[in-house]
Amino acid sequence: MVTLTSYLIVSAALLGIGVYGLSVKRNAIRILFAVEVIVNAANLNFAAFTRYMNPPQVSGQIIVFYSIAAAAMEAAVGLALILVAFRLNSTIDVRKLNKLKG
Amino acid sequence: MVSLVIPSDISFVVLTAVTIIGAIMALQAKELIYGAIALAISFIGIAGFFALLDAPYLAMLQIAIYVGAVVVLILFTIMLVRRERGEEMDKRTDAAEGSMGLWLAGLLALAISGVVALAGTSLPTQAPAASLPVSDLGPALTLQYPVPLIILALLLSAALLGALVLAKVER
Repeated sequence: MVTLTSYLIVSAALLGIGVYGLSVKRNAIRILFAVEVIVNAANLNFAAFTRYMNPPQVSGQIIVFYSIAAAAMEAAVGLALILVAFRLNSTIDVRKLNKLKG
Repeated sequence: MVSLVIPSDISFVVLTAVTIIGAIMALQAKELIYGAIALAISFIGIAGFFALLDAPYLAMLQIAIYVGAVVVLILFTIMLVRRERGEEMDKRTDAAEGSMGLWLAGLLALAISGVVALAGTSLPTQAPAASLPVSDLGPALTLQYPVPLIILALLLSAALLGALVLAKVER
């Protein structure tokens, strides 16, 4: 029996995987992967909650629509930033990109 | 919709496996390229969840934007950024850092599961039988929430210009 709780557990697991990636990985592209996984966990939550609403509501799906569009933008700008960082420093290891460190 | 073909329990379990294993492989695969492909598989799993949740429009959007655009963009960036063949870009993380991250992620997932378990009795267990047709989304988007849509369009063009300007930065 699939209930709302099962979707929430899957979403929590995805969030955990994403946070692990954010805190451990050194490669900037991997960190972007982790961010995308976290955004997808949030989207899954919205879609699940809006499906189990009674009476049915469309607002959750609209929020997921906006979220997907925003995540696509974020990926485009993030990848452009990574390209610039690579061109200027010839590395994308975030532990080595520490010029702002005092 | 999907449940007419396959029992929804089985498809839920399969989709969960695909999504979680894809996400783990995306972060742990040795080669970055394989990681990007695993990420695409995980996104397809999420699209399957959307189909299961009676949101076919979201499933199509997920496939078109995430799998079609974002992953392809990531693949191109990996190819631009990659150095000589054979050199490992992603160094293995040291053990202390890795266990720290595992603890953090596990605690977070455990805390959320605890909240869900506590709230479990008040959450609805049965989805309403009546579902929304896809044609309800258009009017809601343009009539009910017009301002966010316009802001989203402005944000899209700003992000596009920003990415263009960033890509022109010289050494």
